[in-house]
Amino acid sequence: MGNLLEHVGIEKERVHFSWISSAEATKFVDVVKKITEKVRALGPNKKLKKQYN
Amino acid sequence: MKIIKIDKKEWEQGLDKSRKEYHLFGAVKDKDYYLIQALGDKVYPDMESSDTILSPKSVIFPQTEKMLTANLDEAQDNHHIMERVETDYSPRAVLGIKPYDAKAFKILQLNFDTEEFKDPYFCDAYAATTLVGLAVNNPGQFDFSTSVDTGPFDETDLDVLLIDTGNEYLAKVITDKGENFISKCGFDNQTDEKNALETISKLKKKAEKAIVSTVSHDKLNGKTILELYNAPFWDDIAFSCINCGTCTYVCPTCWCFDIQDETKDKSCIRFRNWDTCMSRLFTEHASGHNPREGKTQRVRQRFMHKLKYFPDKYDQGLMCVGCGRCVKHCPVNIDIREICEQMNS
Amino acid sequence: MHTYTEKIQNLAKDVLKQGKAEMVIGFKQGTIPMAANPFVAKNENDADNLIWSSTCGLNLANYLPGIKKCEGKIGIIAKGCDSRNIVTHIVENKIDREKLYIIGLPCTGMVDKKQIALLFDDEITQFSEEGNTLIVKSETKEEKINKQEYLRSNCKTCTHRNPVIYDELVSDLVEEQIIEDQFADVKKIEAMSSEEKWDFFDKLTEDCIRCYACRNACPLCYCPTCFVDESGPQWVGKGQNTDDIKTFHYLRAYHCAGRCTDCGACEEACPMDIKVRNFTRKLNKDSLELFNWEAGLDISQRPPLDTYQPDDPDDFIM
Repeated sequence: MGNLLEHVGIEKERVHFSWISSAEATKFVDVVKKITEKVRALGPNKKLKKQYN
Repeated sequence: MKIIKIDKKEWEQGLDKSRKEYHLFGAVKDKDYYLIQALGDKVYPDMESSDTILSPKSVIFPQTEKMLTANLDEAQDNHHIMERVETDYSPRAVLGIKPYDAKAFKILQLNFDTEEFKDPYFCDAYAATTLVGLAVNNPGQFDFSTSVDTGPFDETDLDVLLIDTGNEYLAKVITDKGENFISKCGFDNQTDEKNALETISKLKKKAEKAIVSTVSHDKLNGKTILELYNAPFWDDIAFSCINCGTCTYVCPTCWCFDIQDETKDKSCIRFRNWDTCMSRLFTEHASGHNPREGKTQRVRQRFMHKLKYFPDKYDQGLMCVGCGRCVKHCPVNIDIREICEQMNS
Repeated sequence: MHTYTEKIQNLAKDVLKQGKAEMVIGFKQGTIPMAANPFVAKNENDADNLIWSSTCGLNLANYLPGIKKCEGKIGIIAKGCDSRNIVTHIVENKIDREKLYIIGLPCTGMVDKKQIALLFDDEITQFSEEGNTLIVKSETKEEKINKQEYLRSNCKTCTHRNPVIYDELVSDLVEEQIIEDQFADVKKIEAMSSEEKWDFFDKLTEDCIRCYACRNACPLCYCPTCFVDESGPQWVGKGQNTDDIKTFHYLRAYHCAGRCTDCGACEEACPMDIKVRNFTRKLNKDSLELFNWEAGLDISQRPPLDTYQPDDPDDFIM
């Protein structure tokens, strides 16, 4: 799934997959931190954002 | 009747003059094929083009058309009140439209512009539009327009008919709208009417004679709806149909649409889209019941509508102008001419 | 006339006469040049209308799920890709192998009709073929062209021209092509930057009219209600909004992951000449590289997205 999104031009740093058990709170926090850093570095997404007008 | 001679060398200059008042539309080559498009500055219609894939109906009846908007912010006085969207209805001209494609607008009018009901979006767009036709001197093999009460030189719904005589166009000015457009272009070389009409008549006869494709529908009127509806051939006709919308979307006379609302935050728009009777969803009821559940029923509907229901209801001939687009573009080669013959036999 | 035509007619007649099948799905001659019309022969007389040509590019496996009234077996003419979609139908429990009588057709490729049409300024009025030579005429000129140069792009890279499953064959098997780089087109896109990729697919889908011919010509798309047709909830807007149009194409592609046989019916059907295989090709490449999988080769194999293996690639999980 990530591969096709990347293929059509969605930056691959925007899409993340992880496997976290409900008991792994620290891992969850870690992953979310990493993701937000990466996405922040990319700036706001403008793709596949429907314009209603 | 005024007939103006236009030197082809002056054609583009004339169009540029008209741009002060008109938005121009015409056939433009896009990738490998022709589409009808709004012409930007210094873009000119390709008058030699073969048929556009889609008919010009979208100039007046776009595939997606905004109708109403509403503000959902309850702090505002006008909240939840639908208001018509502002659309630019300043004059537009469609250049080089095929005469039978223009005739199709007369058919669309039967649905959108009646004594009783007037669709404001269609009527306003239609009123704003000047149709500058180009007679078809060399009809293609898919053209069966002369079999369906129109033809390569049909003036029924044109404001101007251009006839290509080689180095120049003869412009037959048919309506006041046409007169205004031609004068805004600065074309004023009025020519001797008698001679011009003779030339036109010769070319017209030649073009009509060159049409190789025909359909007969003379017996349809005498058959009852049920006789045709229950005819044994529908399953076989429908077998290969994949129920895509190609035939209805390329058709200049298919007028069905679907209305949708979309809401984002505090604003809402209502718009309509072309719809297609080939789709199962077209007739699906909220209850889940679908009166046209099977593809045979849907295929039958399309042809019955064009060739029987419409003629019976309006007495204005078939709901088809013989442009041949559906024949050419159907992915599985379902051919309305063949089906019409079958229904007529 | 194509050399296969007579053979198909004879085989179909025999099949119908002997009751090996109740009907035979094939093609009949179209009403316009370079067109073939999917057709079902129910008796020996009908079988005289069956034809074969290099314009039979649609995938007949698409018609199998639609056949409801058939007590006996369904006969079907299947070129390589059609047969792979038949396998996919069997694997996905759409149809029983026992219900089918497959007349396999070793294929030498289908022609790219749109590319041939571009050779002419006017309309094509006649099309015929002699072996590898295509003879195409319009009012103003005649072209004799080499079929191999005018194959559809999926046929150019096809490595399964022979049917993978059949009860009978129309002719001897043909030699399979050896393709040096099967996914050169996908790699070209992969090498682009995100922005270039985005623009490429923007341009690709800009003329889409949402007729859904690509979806409806595809044997994989048999869902009773497609996600774009759902109304409660409505997953995707129905207007000509570019994001809605792209959403349709992306999601349709996802649904074909690990299932697509690259038969090219979607592109064949598209009235706007949109090269929609650009979406599915990427997934086919990934299926091959990640799972060593090509769809529809074997009825005993479960597809990769339907099974779990401990060594499935998982380097995308962080």
